[in-house]
Amino acid sequence: MGNKQTIFTPQQLDAYQVGHSARREAGLFYRYHNLAPQLVPLDYTSKPDVKLPYELIGSMPELKDNPFRQRIAQVFSEDGEGNMTLDDFLDMFSALSEMAPRDLKAYYAFKIYDFNDDDYICKSDLEKTLNKLTRNELTEDEVRMVCEKVIDESDLDNDGRLSLEDFQHMIVRAPDFLSTFHIRI
Amino acid sequence: MGVTSMRRRGTLKTGLLPGGNVALEKIGLTEEDVRDEIMSEEQDLVKELVTMSTRECIQAIRDLPMCMEDKKNIRNQVLASKSSKKGFLLTCSADCSEQISLSLRRCGVGLSSARQAVRLWQGTMKEIGGRFGTSVLSYFSFLKWLLMFNTISFLVNFGFITIPQLVQTSGRSPDVRFTGLELITGAGYFNQTVMYYGGYINGTKDSDFKYNMQLAYFFTIAAYLVLCGVSLIYSMARSFRRNFVLSDLSSGSAWRLLCSWDFSMVNERAVRQRKNNLRVQLKESLSEMMQTNFLPVSERMKQLGIHLCTWVVSAGLAAGSCAAIYYLCQYNLQQIKVSQNPGNLKEEASTLLLPFVVSLFNLVIPLLYSLLSKVENYSNPRFQIYVIILRNVFLKMSILSILCFHWVNNVTTNVPMCWESYVGQDLYRLVIVNFFFSIFGSFFGEFLRRIIGTRCMPSIGIPEFDIATNVLDLIYAQTLTWIGIYFSPLLPLIQMIKLFLLFYLKKVSLNRNCQPPRRSGRAAQMQTIYIALLFFPSFVGALSLVAYTVWCLTPSDSCGPFQGLNTTFEAVSLWMEDTAIISEFSWAVWIYSHMIKSELFFFLLALIFLVLIYFFWQITQGRKMLIILLKEQIINEGKDKAFLLEKLRTFQNLSLVPYHAENVHGPQYFERTYQTESDYSEGYQRGACPEEDTPPFASSALMQAMMARRQAEEEDEEY
Repeated sequence: MGNKQTIFTPQQLDAYQVGHSARREAGLFYRYHNLAPQLVPLDYTSKPDVKLPYELIGSMPELKDNPFRQRIAQVFSEDGEGNMTLDDFLDMFSALSEMAPRDLKAYYAFKIYDFNDDDYICKSDLEKTLNKLTRNELTEDEVRMVCEKVIDESDLDNDGRLSLEDFQHMIVRAPDFLSTFHIRI
Repeated sequence: MGVTSMRRRGTLKTGLLPGGNVALEKIGLTEEDVRDEIMSEEQDLVKELVTMSTRECIQAIRDLPMCMEDKKNIRNQVLASKSSKKGFLLTCSADCSEQISLSLRRCGVGLSSARQAVRLWQGTMKEIGGRFGTSVLSYFSFLKWLLMFNTISFLVNFGFITIPQLVQTSGRSPDVRFTGLELITGAGYFNQTVMYYGGYINGTKDSDFKYNMQLAYFFTIAAYLVLCGVSLIYSMARSFRRNFVLSDLSSGSAWRLLCSWDFSMVNERAVRQRKNNLRVQLKESLSEMMQTNFLPVSERMKQLGIHLCTWVVSAGLAAGSCAAIYYLCQYNLQQIKVSQNPGNLKEEASTLLLPFVVSLFNLVIPLLYSLLSKVENYSNPRFQIYVIILRNVFLKMSILSILCFHWVNNVTTNVPMCWESYVGQDLYRLVIVNFFFSIFGSFFGEFLRRIIGTRCMPSIGIPEFDIATNVLDLIYAQTLTWIGIYFSPLLPLIQMIKLFLLFYLKKVSLNRNCQPPRRSGRAAQMQTIYIALLFFPSFVGALSLVAYTVWCLTPSDSCGPFQGLNTTFEAVSLWMEDTAIISEFSWAVWIYSHMIKSELFFFLLALIFLVLIYFFWQITQGRKMLIILLKEQIINEGKDKAFLLEKLRTFQNLSLVPYHAENVHGPQYFERTYQTESDYSEGYQRGACPEEDTPPFASSALMQAMMARRQAEEEDEEY
């Protein structure tokens, strides 16, 4: 394995302190590089503009069985399609690491579950989440009832959909969230 | 704080720019206006960050919900403005200190990355977490945590007690031959070595060796136990605060659907199974909703009767096992009195009968308890788990208390030689036999059950990993070790080796024989309960036994560092008397005689703590009321927001009539007008389905507020 100093300049390394995966840039960089060795140069000191397509990201062993892998890639990518630069990649694993605080994780989890990107989790978003999690094996009625129950339980300001604050309030009452919203790499 | 506004800013940027130009023009705003708004918010944030110290600043930037490029921008701006501020006062020393702190930070980063690389079992735990989920992983983390306690204990004891003793008695070797049986019975060859209390001697009387073994022994063990206690209380309090205080006691659908999916599962089969489990649980909770919970009175009385019966039966089983163990202990003592030949192999082997029976009871009776719980019918599955845990803890602790009672009352008076070494050997045997029974239990509980479940009776299926039983087993073994520290200072070494081997055994058994758990339970709350159990009956019990031994019991006359004293604590009193002569340490002697020895001091201390507890309890009550009030306030704010938005929309509908004359239906339909424009929907492709009625803008309330402000400015200009 090469030295951290040969991949990044010291200024770049300092700049990466803004992420929560701050001490693992070298390991994460090598994971990124191994996804497409011919596309990703080993020397990032000149800040090359390299973007890996979603298919490569989605084939990583940590993500390939995750039902939300497409949403995760879309949320963290710059272009919104799932094609990630190295910064996006580091961002993703920083937010999903164990050191990220609860608010940050809640924010990104909210964005992942918000399928239509309108800043609210409405009933259709909940239905899509439910279908991804149960392999479409619940009946229409059951899906509808579960989504209604979810909104009933967690909608604080009674507007029929979950805003970020409602979602965060629910997360505060679920202490397991910090350990389940976590991808080990 | 700037954070909430920055969140809106992030969504504003991503929501508008892809296809928003056309729509923006329609409502009279240009892209520049939006950009200006974003820039001004950014500048506010930078101003806020500049006032913080460097470390707080880095932490605040880390916690911002933005992509890395934006965070780097913010960081550069903050650094630029900080250095421009300092530009006027730039001196050589300020520059140097800046460089030093930077290099220190880089050094710290390097060190912690090195530390990460050598973490024990990191890869294995990732694998287990990926296949079985976080609740099974919690057992292995608990094991690792206990391993750390034992490692510290061993190092401390070895360094401060054993090494001086070995140095002191180098050259002397025990006169008994080593046979292999000692590894299990702990007696024989080990009897006179540093393994037990009896192998330590206070050498200051005989030779010039200046190491006071009495004080070393006492203070090492006391310091370690205090450290353990503090660390346990800290973990327990932190875990309690995180997992119990804020959490909702009922597990509803919302939590199950949105918060409980385990993102770290990487095995396809495990993911499929987890999806099945979730589906089953959701169906169950839906059917529960539809069922009515009213039972007639006779049913209720019957349930109550069954509960009472099962409790009586479990208490009876526990009492019966305690009585059996007590009689066995008495029998053992009588055997010692009767026996003439101390080196007899058969007699040594018969000492193994007691640990064998204890471990057998610990293995079999919990199985009977789980059978009993199948007879009872609990409406809440979590409550059922609590009851099972309570009964198991009660059983284990009552067995331990009978053993302690036997040691403290009967052994001290009836054993002719070193009674502390005898107790140490008993504990050693209990620990070793417990290990064998853990392997046994794993073999029967998991391996054989899988064979039966897959070949003979497929209805049973593959077993799950029983977390509760295994964790309680670990807690029991740790209690034995903590009790044994005083009587056998090297017992933590045995426990360390045992835990190390147990990790690998359990891992192999888990991978081959078990399936992931069906119910995704509240793993975090169970963690808190296990830590609390480790503290309350386990550590506190061990500490009280050791304290009682030290304070009240007479050490044996023929062996050990405390020979000849009335109680072990007398060593400290004698030492204090000796130092009273030296005038420099009179303050220490004063502290000892007026604070540690006087009861009035502790009485006053307890009184002060009670008052503080009452005070904090009142604060908690006040905060609870505040939370209720704030929740009501949130609901009211939501209603206000909806009302005001509606008003704003109707007002703007009226003022922009040429665009939307045909679409003035009501508040919900204002946003839909943009979706009917085909050129707009081309630009906005990500995620939104055309047939859904969702607003295209990220934050329509903010857009409308900006519009309203723009209109108000225009009206001002007109006047």
